[in-house]
Amino acid sequence: MSVLNESNNGKELRIVGFLCNWCSYGGADTAGVGRFTQPTDLRIVRLPCSGRVNPLFIVKALLNGADGVLVSGCHPRDCHYAEGNFYARRRLEVFKRLLPTLGIDPRRFEYTWVSASEGQRWQKVVSEFTQQVHALGPAKFVADAPEFDVLKVCAE
Amino acid sequence: MRIGVFICHCGSNIAGTVDVAQVAANAAKMPDVAFAVDTMYACSEPGQQAIEEAVKQHKLTGVVVASCSPRMHEPTFRRAVERAGLNRYMIEMANIREQVSWIGKDKEANTRKATDLVHMAVEKLRLNRVLIPKQIPVTRKVLVVGGGVAGIQAALDCAEGGMEVVMVEREPSIGGKMSKLDKTFPTIDCSSCVLGPKMVDVAQNDHIDLFTYSEVESITGYVGNFEVTIRKKAPYVDWEKCTGCGICTEKCPNKKSFDRHNEGMGTTTSINIPFPQAIPKKATINAATCRKLVDGKCGVCAKVCPSGAINYEQEDELVTVKVGAVVAATGYDFMDWTVYREYGAGRYKDVITSLQYERLLSASGPTEGHIKRPSDGKEPKNIVFIQCVGSRDVSIGRPYCSGFCCMYTAKQAILTKDHIPDSQSYVFYMDIRSPGKAYDEFTRRAQEEYGAQYLRGRVSTIVPLGDKLLVRGADTLAGQQVEIEADLVVLAVGGEAAHGAPQLAEKLRISYDSYGFFMEGHVKLKPVETNTAGVFLAGACQGLKDIPASVAQGSAAAAKALGLLSKDTLESDPQTASVDLKRCVGCGKCWNVCPFGAIREMDMRGQIKAEVLEAVCQGCGLCNATCPQGAIQLSHFTDNQVLAEVEALCRC
Amino acid sequence: MAIQEQLKKMILDVLPDVDCVIGWGPGPDPLRGSPFFMRKPEDVESFMAGPMAVQNPALFLPEYKGKKVGVVVKGCDSRSVVQLISEDLIKREEVVIIGFPCDGVLDVAKVENALASHGEPGEITAVEFSGGEVKVTLAGNTHSLKFDDVKADKCGRCAVPNAVMSDFFAGIAREASGVKDDYEDLAALEKMSLEERFAFWENEMSRCLRCYACRNACPMCVCRDHCVASSRIPHWISQADSTRDKLMFQVIHAVHLAGRCTGCGECQRVCPVGIPVLLLKRTLSKGVTELFDYAAGMDTESKPPLLTFQVEEATIKERNW
Repeated sequence: MSVLNESNNGKELRIVGFLCNWCSYGGADTAGVGRFTQPTDLRIVRLPCSGRVNPLFIVKALLNGADGVLVSGCHPRDCHYAEGNFYARRRLEVFKRLLPTLGIDPRRFEYTWVSASEGQRWQKVVSEFTQQVHALGPAKFVADAPEFDVLKVCAE
Repeated sequence: MRIGVFICHCGSNIAGTVDVAQVAANAAKMPDVAFAVDTMYACSEPGQQAIEEAVKQHKLTGVVVASCSPRMHEPTFRRAVERAGLNRYMIEMANIREQVSWIGKDKEANTRKATDLVHMAVEKLRLNRVLIPKQIPVTRKVLVVGGGVAGIQAALDCAEGGMEVVMVEREPSIGGKMSKLDKTFPTIDCSSCVLGPKMVDVAQNDHIDLFTYSEVESITGYVGNFEVTIRKKAPYVDWEKCTGCGICTEKCPNKKSFDRHNEGMGTTTSINIPFPQAIPKKATINAATCRKLVDGKCGVCAKVCPSGAINYEQEDELVTVKVGAVVAATGYDFMDWTVYREYGAGRYKDVITSLQYERLLSASGPTEGHIKRPSDGKEPKNIVFIQCVGSRDVSIGRPYCSGFCCMYTAKQAILTKDHIPDSQSYVFYMDIRSPGKAYDEFTRRAQEEYGAQYLRGRVSTIVPLGDKLLVRGADTLAGQQVEIEADLVVLAVGGEAAHGAPQLAEKLRISYDSYGFFMEGHVKLKPVETNTAGVFLAGACQGLKDIPASVAQGSAAAAKALGLLSKDTLESDPQTASVDLKRCVGCGKCWNVCPFGAIREMDMRGQIKAEVLEAVCQGCGLCNATCPQGAIQLSHFTDNQVLAEVEALCRC
Repeated sequence: MAIQEQLKKMILDVLPDVDCVIGWGPGPDPLRGSPFFMRKPEDVESFMAGPMAVQNPALFLPEYKGKKVGVVVKGCDSRSVVQLISEDLIKREEVVIIGFPCDGVLDVAKVENALASHGEPGEITAVEFSGGEVKVTLAGNTHSLKFDDVKADKCGRCAVPNAVMSDFFAGIAREASGVKDDYEDLAALEKMSLEERFAFWENEMSRCLRCYACRNACPMCVCRDHCVASSRIPHWISQADSTRDKLMFQVIHAVHLAGRCTGCGECQRVCPVGIPVLLLKRTLSKGVTELFDYAAGMDTESKPPLLTFQVEEATIKERNW
């Protein structure tokens, strides 16, 4: 469980990032090395490639109460694995269209391409996306199953 | 599992804006965490020792280090836990410096974020498995694609280092663009005198297997073990028998073939040897113009050939070789300048390219070194050079500087004066770019000693005026229009990626930029590596560069290839995909999308299943994201690991 | 000769060369047909095509991979067959396709709803089709319904009444209605606000029994026994009675079908609690059609768009940060 649930001061939202190791994760590092200040809401999951991003990870996050999800990979043609982001691009673009049907604001999900050298661009992406999610506010989420308490059921 | 968590202060880099002690205290409450502590410099010698001791003392089976980026120190901490007796993959890092402490000053928020990142790392680590790298044998042989000066240098250096080399060149002779040049800047030394001996060295070196008039058809495999299929195009001459005597080229009745070596400045015979110093010095028939091959009537060359080498029936041949590393040195081509209508779009015979001019200057060229203009063979007196034709021009999609044109134009202006002392050269330029040893001095000599008149401005139009060309342009320094009656106009045509470069890049699985130049691994720190292990770059294929830089990069690529193949085996990365055979339904989606051909179909007792070739798998995980039932999982980045990270962040 | 008789003759002709021919036969009651596996010539007697041939027989083909089978298909069913072939999930040479011009199939639920006040579905004793009418005898009384009112929704937007691909075709190909699929089924949802849609799914999915009939009826769900719904590695959803996980499963199903779903609607038809699960798949199909001008199951040579790519995507406009 995110510590935000325990001590959220109301200022931060839950934003999950799925970043490829070679470009965007490097870009986020470059932004850090350059001390490019960013909002603190985003937490990054490091993956080898944007092609590794199953759109279902994003659904999982959104249904589990993430307020926003950001996927970032290498620029098209620049994929470390040659083709991964080409597949990701199609899958994520199609997937984005499912969100409104589910009743999830599609602006809660964005995907983009940031190279390892684009620290400033990364700062811009994070800042703008965080702002966008904040404008939407905390997301609704589907309640989890009620805790099944064996002892309680037995007592009854 | 017993997890140890180490929260690094990184001096004040992290501790300044993150309450590291608090993060450690939070971590202590996380599942399976047996030990949590903050440490001053986790990567320092005492820091690493502390980790090793904690592993032993607390019987830890996994370690989380929250510090800088894993891109920085993951290898360091992997070695540390390995020294402590753990598998090197039983460590996870939380990036609380680049992605937390350095990007925000709100200590409370940073502490929360750092705690979350540590929690994610702990949850992922709980699902880490011991991974053992495999030793894969390597083929100690290097493929050099491209026989220009960069490729030649790379091949010779590799051979010198004891490596076997296979060189593939698509033209009938090696030598590349440099073999077409007359002289080279900034020394005005003869190009073929510099290059020629190197070409001969390639031919004579026992370690170099030369395939000219050949192209790379396909490449499979991976670092250390590539399998290359080479297409040897049919020259219609048995090169085993051809002695290069040249009798066929003298007797061939069709003398109107386009002369590629001379850039069309002359014509040549249908069977020809591209130039006297060609390596290999073998004849090739141009199938498009050869009368025997076109309509079956002729056969003169076969009759006169003293060694019976002519074979009109010859077909392309495919050869397969195994290599351990690849050096791409495919050079560049010139852009098609005829897009410029203002320069006549190719309509005026006396508007030629710089490389065509180079052939006119060359003693082995069509005019034997006498500058004769193409229209009437007269010696030109007024010669206008126009720079940046197809360079630094956003309007035609060429925003980049080709880098070498300023210098070769200065050289050509100097040579023009040498050839025709009463000539006058005019150079229209945008800026003079001459950074290099003795380069700027050279361009000044062209102006000061050789009297070339440099005009800063663009040419707006060229119109025919009798047997001359009227060049209208601007002299922006004088602030006036200029008109020059030129006998010959030479365009400094910019370079572009070699034709077919993107296709080769795709075969090699390396990236290329939007202009088709190959992408280096890192702009500054990996200038000859690519992001594909075992593939290196040399010369202008990576970005336009002049001869010294190409040669330097050729040597650099050779050093990288030699280093890589200095051992008999390479360690494979075990972070690869693996198939749960029970769950695989053999639907084939994984092997359809795998960019590396690392997954193949196999038959398991009549059932089709997917099989991962571990040594080929690069660990991208595309298959994992594609498999509907998740039967193929990428080790170290499994679905369950990613889901655990997601749930750590947001299960509510 | 009636289409049905022609089909029977074709099945008899094909039967000696195949393991069985899959079509439709009598179902549990007069309102329902059933998938029907014909192995012997005498089986063919009971074969029936027509408005009660609702099930998609393509569902059974992957199980027969390696054996040769015949299959009788409506236009919509044929798209599933084509899609299975294009994904190499079945082999073209292992399936004999028999097509016929389809006039639409019955939506049993619509009939039952229309006659709800007249008796229980179990009391239906006879169903007859004639001239655009459906005559249902229920509890002794015969009720006449307009076929157009009780036919399946998908038939209203059908563009492929004839098999896309067939080895044998009975009768004369029928003209498609010419009605363009305007995704009317999605329109109702689109009228809702995002909050309402979210609440809609929460409510709908809370009724889900996790019977997985939707999955089991899907001809493109080839994972079958290895579905992620019940696996621990990977562990996408729990086994708990959780609305979130039930919805998650429907999204998984839809995402797995993106660019592959032919819209046969079997998932929704078989849902015992009437959850409109097809909407999710239709949303993705609409997106795939818009982006890649692709409809699944129309051509055995085309590749599902999410299993391929273009270096330059003409229709994907990425966000410019």
